[in-house]
Amino acid sequence: MSAVAGRRFTLARALLYTILLLFAVVYLMPLYVMLTTSFKTLEEIHQGNMLALPGQWTLAPWREAWGSACIGLECSGIHGYFFNSIKIVVPAVLISGLLGAFNGYVLTKWRFRGHKIVFGLMLFSCFIPFQIILLPMARVLGILHLANSTAGLVLVHIVYGIGFTTLFFRNFYAAFPDELVRAAKLDGAGFFTLFFRILLPASVPIIVVTVIWQFTNVWNDFLFGVSFASGDSAPITVALNNLVNSSTGVKAYNVNMAAAMVAAVPTLIVYVLAGKYFLRGLMSGSVKG
Amino acid sequence: MPNAASRRHMGARERLQRWLPKLVLSPSCVLVLFFVYGFIAWTSYISFSDSGMLPDYTWAGLRQWTRLWQSWTWGIALHNIWVFGLLYIVACILLGLLLAILLDQRIRAEGVLRTIYLYPMALSFIVTGTAWQWFLNPGLGLEKTMHDLGWQSFSFHWLIDSKMAIYTVVIAAVWQATGFVMAMFLAGLRGIDGEMIKAAQLDGAPIWKIYLRIIVPQLRPVFLSAVVVLAHLAIKSFDLIVAMTGGGPGNATAVPATFMYSYAFSRNEMGIAAASAVFMLAVIAALIIPYLYSELREPRP
Amino acid sequence: MSFLHIHNVHKRFGSTPVLKGVDIAIAQGDFLVLVGPSGCGKSTLLNMIAGLDTLSDGELLLDGVRINDLPPAKRDIAMVFQSYALYPSMTVAGNIGFGLEMRKVPRKARREAIERVARLLQIENLLSRKPSQLSGGQRQRVAMGRALVREPQLFLFDEPLSNLDAKLRVDMRTEIKQLHQRLRTTIVYVTHDQIEAMTLATRIAVMRGGELQQLGTPQQVYDDPSNLFVAGFMGSPSMNLIPGRVVERDGEPWVALDAEETQVLLPVRRDRDALRQWYDREVVVGLRPEAITDPASADRREGDVHEAELPVALVEPTGADLYVVTSLGGKRINARMRPGGAVEPGSAARFAFDVTRMVVFDPDSEQRIRSPAPDPA
Repeated sequence: MSAVAGRRFTLARALLYTILLLFAVVYLMPLYVMLTTSFKTLEEIHQGNMLALPGQWTLAPWREAWGSACIGLECSGIHGYFFNSIKIVVPAVLISGLLGAFNGYVLTKWRFRGHKIVFGLMLFSCFIPFQIILLPMARVLGILHLANSTAGLVLVHIVYGIGFTTLFFRNFYAAFPDELVRAAKLDGAGFFTLFFRILLPASVPIIVVTVIWQFTNVWNDFLFGVSFASGDSAPITVALNNLVNSSTGVKAYNVNMAAAMVAAVPTLIVYVLAGKYFLRGLMSGSVKG
Repeated sequence: MPNAASRRHMGARERLQRWLPKLVLSPSCVLVLFFVYGFIAWTSYISFSDSGMLPDYTWAGLRQWTRLWQSWTWGIALHNIWVFGLLYIVACILLGLLLAILLDQRIRAEGVLRTIYLYPMALSFIVTGTAWQWFLNPGLGLEKTMHDLGWQSFSFHWLIDSKMAIYTVVIAAVWQATGFVMAMFLAGLRGIDGEMIKAAQLDGAPIWKIYLRIIVPQLRPVFLSAVVVLAHLAIKSFDLIVAMTGGGPGNATAVPATFMYSYAFSRNEMGIAAASAVFMLAVIAALIIPYLYSELREPRP
Repeated sequence: MSFLHIHNVHKRFGSTPVLKGVDIAIAQGDFLVLVGPSGCGKSTLLNMIAGLDTLSDGELLLDGVRINDLPPAKRDIAMVFQSYALYPSMTVAGNIGFGLEMRKVPRKARREAIERVARLLQIENLLSRKPSQLSGGQRQRVAMGRALVREPQLFLFDEPLSNLDAKLRVDMRTEIKQLHQRLRTTIVYVTHDQIEAMTLATRIAVMRGGELQQLGTPQQVYDDPSNLFVAGFMGSPSMNLIPGRVVERDGEPWVALDAEETQVLLPVRRDRDALRQWYDREVVVGLRPEAITDPASADRREGDVHEAELPVALVEPTGADLYVVTSLGGKRINARMRPGGAVEPGSAARFAFDVTRMVVFDPDSEQRIRSPAPDPA
């Protein structure tokens, strides 16, 4: 609506901008501190001001975080864990996305008796506290020989991602005109032709939303990682936590911040490049959409 | 549905076409039924069993539940989640609504500001926790900075103060989620009919009154969604607490999620862990099911 | 032998009946228009013919073959949808050719067919565009092209003009009519617009509440409506339906209509035998506005004109005609007069009734009162 305030520049508007800028500074502060700290030497951190720019820029903390910081007993940095996360994210996003797309398609365009119950069960699975499945999942992964492996985490993320991907595609396809589907059926298109030739090419926006949502969720996951993967197969969030909260030795804050930045950069890039889709995912993850 | 006679006349291809949709849906159904609802059933059963380090299917009645409610740490966890949840929800909604209303005044750089307020939502809780742990570090963080700036008496030890530590978690959590709540309110504000506001202006109502009397009451569905989403996030909160305080000092910042984790994986008390998980599920279900039901009930064409 | 035979078709959604035993048969080359208010079941019937909806009971025969159980793609039927339903991700050529592609028509033959149809519809220059780059009228043509290219036995149109603005709608209506006359295809067309039905159809099926009200040529449905609903639904402005009474004069039935101070007596010409049974009973008399005129415009060669002087309540000029409103049987009555006459509201004017066009209904059953054998009009 935006109809309330006029365009005149008044004292009230000056105040308005001041407040908004102040908030912006507060919101950027942790990121700023994280970044500057990661380029400082430990010595400067202990002596200098947290808010000051580095007096002497150094890349050493980044190099150490990436390649030689000690996580547990292993001293080869977080790069291995970074690639673990990629190995988990890529298949988990693709498979859960594909399943969600098919589910959304069937639940809207090939309805059958009980389709609402199926959707309701899938939807509720998005919201369960995952503590309820930690114990049995740990046992099942053990039985499947998938404990402490990235493959196990892929399975976990697929299973608990289906709910959201189905929700996204279902809501999107519910708004997709049924007449198009009927036209294609008359033209002779079957189940898969209809999906791949008619619906999927029109689904780019929801594919982007789903991929971003799943990517962010899986990349940022900590609970599954810490519960089901330890040591070499841990994702980056777990490695970061181990690095930061290990009680041994002197705390290398600059290395910690560099590692945190490494963990944050992929999702931040996605957010900056496709913020609109990121927000749309958040919204439809909470409201019906 | 076709009648029996017509089904007989169908070729194999048509029959396959008829079954394909269900066939395609079934892997997801099987996965969800087993890994979600099967596991819920299993965990629920375990909470009534004798399980310790290993599952023991002997029926133990309410023994684990009694032990849970007698646990000192569980009391702290419940108290913490109550304090944390309440402050988190109220603060996020107030700040989010404020930012949304301020941003809705034809702000020049709205896009940039919105991006800044929302970016924390893209970060992992572990990153957020790491950043705030450093930012609020008693020795080198905010406190030292204030001292350097000349405010010698400034003192901020909350992170290591067992009475105050939970509030540092609230601060970080609010920082992370406000932008999202703002975006929800902003979308709600943009959906309000502008003509009505013009009418109110012509009636001579001052801006603050227009918001208080006309606009905010119309945002009720957004309030509801925000409360449900935030409450649900609060109950599930685990990562942020592990990263910022590790549940400490001592057990001072324990919440049900960390309680469950430590009983399940460090203390090997599977039964108690299961009971606490079932309790969490029950609370969330009581919150989410009515919400989902009301959201889905209205018929779609 | 009929080409399309809709035989005793029923449809129930749960326990709600939507179609209650519809029977329609048309010949090859016919243009059948299903018309009726929304919710009358016409779209459901169309979807059943297309195979997009199943029958609860009854039979569909196309060229003698039972098609009830055939999937849509095997029925040799093409359809033009209300929203046009163009595939957004394909070009115009892709849209038109998709059905052929699904039927595994080779690429070269497909291209030729697309070009032929594009020429026919004058959309050759649009073939490489996407649907989003087309205007409403162009989309409409593409949708028709997609149906035409398959050369099916039967074309279905589901309110295809309802999304166009008024002017374009008239143009496209003419074009559809020309196309039908040129190609002699069989068409089933659904609309709620009775003017569209009148102008396009060779056969009209008027439907209401899941039941067929009347099936006939446009002229039959217009001149010889079989009940009050059809009489009121077809024609604009609609037929005057005047409460009156049948009286006996010299052994013949007349109808008596109450005016403000007088009574108008009109002799019955149609269905005379049947109306002899109705002496001194209440009826509803139907007279189209063009059957009530000024004395000078009345057609006395074929008609049988009776005059009466009545007060004028209102005058509505439309340019071509002058609609004069008076009151009969307690109802507002429209008469169509020549413009330029000296008819003034508040004064009295002479009205000429053409009783050969008068039809009479039973007010309780709402059905026409007809003689057993139809009178030659």
